Amino acid sequence: MDATTAPHLIPPEMLQYGEDNHIFEMMQNMLEQVLIHQPEDPITFMINHLRRNNDSVPKVVILGPPASGKTTIAMWLCKHLNSNLITKENLLEKEFSQMAKEAKRHYEIYKRIPNSMLISLVQERLNEDDCLRRGWILDGIPERREQVLMIQTVGLAPRHVIVLNAPDTVLIERNMGKRIDPDTGEIYHTTFDWPPEPEIQNRLIEPEGISEIETAKRLLEYHRNIIRILPSYPKILKTISADQPCVDVFYQALTYVQTGHRCNAPFTPKVLLCGPLGSGKSLQAALLAQRYGLVDICCGQLLKEAVAAKSSLGELIQPFFEKRMTVPDSIITKALAERLSQQDCIQKGWVLHGFPRDLDQARILTSMGYSPNRVFFLNVPLDSILERMTLRRTDPVTGERFHLMYKPPPTIEVQARLLQNPRDSEEHIRLQTDLFYRNCGDLEQYYERAITVNGDQDPYTVFEYIESGIINPLPKKVT
Amino acid sequence: MASAMTDRNPRAAEASGTYTYTSRPRAVPCQRRRYRDSLLQPADEPLNYGNIMYDRRVIRGNTYALPTGQVPGQPDPLELQRQQQARRRALARKRAQEQLRPRTPEPVEGRKHVDVQTELYLEEIADRIVEVDMECQTDAFLDRPPTPLFIPAKTGKDVATQILEGELFDFDLEVKPMLQVLVGKTIEQALLEVMEEEELANLRANQYAYEEIRNVELAEVQRLEEQERRHREEKERRKRQQWEIIHKHNETSQKISARAFAQRYLADLLPSVFDSLRNSGYFYDPIERDIEIGFLPWLMNQVEKTMEHSVVGRTVLDMLIREVVERRLNNYEKKEDTQPSMRSDDVYSGPDTMTDPSGYKFFQGQPSP
Repeated sequence: MDATTAPHLIPPEMLQYGEDNHIFEMMQNMLEQVLIHQPEDPITFMINHLRRNNDSVPKVVILGPPASGKTTIAMWLCKHLNSNLITKENLLEKEFSQMAKEAKRHYEIYKRIPNSMLISLVQERLNEDDCLRRGWILDGIPERREQVLMIQTVGLAPRHVIVLNAPDTVLIERNMGKRIDPDTGEIYHTTFDWPPEPEIQNRLIEPEGISEIETAKRLLEYHRNIIRILPSYPKILKTISADQPCVDVFYQALTYVQTGHRCNAPFTPKVLLCGPLGSGKSLQAALLAQRYGLVDICCGQLLKEAVAAKSSLGELIQPFFEKRMTVPDSIITKALAERLSQQDCIQKGWVLHGFPRDLDQARILTSMGYSPNRVFFLNVPLDSILERMTLRRTDPVTGERFHLMYKPPPTIEVQARLLQNPRDSEEHIRLQTDLFYRNCGDLEQYYERAITVNGDQDPYTVFEYIESGIINPLPKKVT
Repeated sequence: MASAMTDRNPRAAEASGTYTYTSRPRAVPCQRRRYRDSLLQPADEPLNYGNIMYDRRVIRGNTYALPTGQVPGQPDPLELQRQQQARRRALARKRAQEQLRPRTPEPVEGRKHVDVQTELYLEEIADRIVEVDMECQTDAFLDRPPTPLFIPAKTGKDVATQILEGELFDFDLEVKPMLQVLVGKTIEQALLEVMEEEELANLRANQYAYEEIRNVELAEVQRLEEQERRHREEKERRKRQQWEIIHKHNETSQKISARAFAQRYLADLLPSVFDSLRNSGYFYDPIERDIEIGFLPWLMNQVEKTMEHSVVGRTVLDMLIREVVERRLNNYEKKEDTQPSMRSDDVYSGPDTMTDPSGYKFFQGQPSP
């Protein structure tokens, strides 16, 4: 068995498998853990790590000035992601821990905990089973740079760091209205977050240290410290303004926590562009092909090429072209399968546009095994489409194509002899867009993880959106 | 109680619109009781049927040309007249006929014709019908006797006969042919049986021979079967071997592609692992860290200490100044009490000129960092 008798090709299913199961990230995590812990028996350690399967649990750090609402956000995130909340109070109140008792004693005497004690408490807590299984959310814990460095040295690295920030005046005012429920520990606010039940309302007490002066002092200290913490988490930091309603902040935090970070896994993009006539799919496909070396496959073009090449498939297609009827699905799928199974498509990836026009075609595409890993829907309102399409003109003499608004012809004689393609007439465009919108809903339902891009902007902006959609990992659905 | 079994056909009747009535023929019953009604009259016991031959209601003879119509009623006068005329005419005709008929001449006078019989035997001609009165009467109101059992009379003659011994035949003579037949038949049967047995024995011998042949053939067949089975197993084994080879071939090729794929896929693994660990801060530049953790705090400490010293020095200076001023003030106040205001200028200028150079000299020796 050698390369001449049985040429060996890596089957594309392997690549698909690798992408679908995030093999690269998994190996990366495992190797990181091995490097950090350096066990004597690496194989058993790796087996245990794989069994634990906790690569996707949330590991979040939430920082922010006092009264920015970080505890509230942390608690909501905990509930939503079913994770564990860790605050200084939690750590001190922990049972069955020698360190916690010592720390508590120290705190009662000196009103502060030394950095090393706090970090060792954190480490102990984070190595417990429930944190390993369900992840953790640290609320306000690295307060100083020394703590950050200690955490990093131990090897505990969060995946997302959220920093809330708001103008000081707002915070001072907000802190005045803070109230705590002594039974549940939940934080309420006199103006923004008043509990509905009267029993809770009666129970609420004012926490200590919410006067203006206290808050101002704490804010000062916070600003002194945070400025040294921020550079330690360069790529995973996100700042959210806390000056908006709680729900907005929470929603932004949740979206961020659920997006992954870019990783170096080898990735062949298989992009599907969907959109009505005139949304710019061909242009975007051409730009993508140029920038990333993908193969640009336009369904209509493919069929025309087949007809022009007079292949067996082309002969099948020609009568449909002559009669101006739509080519049936079976022929289109055959032509596509032929093109997509060629070596350059498999190796470099492809951009497909114009093919699944309805649910059946989409299902056929999946069943053939060529399902796209990024789907984009370009949304363009009908007026823009009409503007873009109905003003297209061609010069019959030179063959140049003009657009009366975006690329007007240079001279009046040229303008006088411009002709419009009958397929750019308004009724035809309306008909085609109607057809598209009829099937659009089904397609959007079928491709659940599709990204919608506003196609109404200039082409390079749209291209950037598409690029970021391709390069960043697909966002998980926010439930 | 007349249970006339009628057979109406109303459907057909209604369909055609006419009324039809049919009934099954039945014997006409007669109401005349012959016996006294017994107390235990069984219901519907044989109705007394009358004999239609003696029934007055039944018309005898030809029914085609009977005069219909006026049977019980008055005779029709026209018919009557016609009948009278017919009678008269018949009479007239008869009279005419009589006149024409040759008759014996009339007797001479004084004589009378007398009819005389001239046959051999005289015959009494008398029109008198022999009448005999007979009567019959059943006993009044007898019970109907039970129906006697009908035993038909014996017909035929009874005849008896008796055969005495020796009259019919002689046994010994008669028996001979029979005996011969019997014996013969027996012997024949025995012969047949023997023949049968012989035949059976022959058949069995044939069977044995046949079985021998069959066994031989069976053995042959078994041998062939064995051979076939061996061939088949061999084939199966070879096929399985081949299949395993191909399977292994496939597996190996898959493993090779998997390995090549994994190598290519994870080619970038180590660099990216190290990158990510560096980003998360696990790998750090030790010198930088050392400076940050070791050197800078010490530096800041020292700066703080120096600043503290400077602050302390200034505080001490302030204290000194204050003390001296206070002392001077007290001195001044004391002097003021003894001597009045003439010394006021000296008091003010004096301490400044005196303490300033000494204060300065005093603080010269302080360590300046």
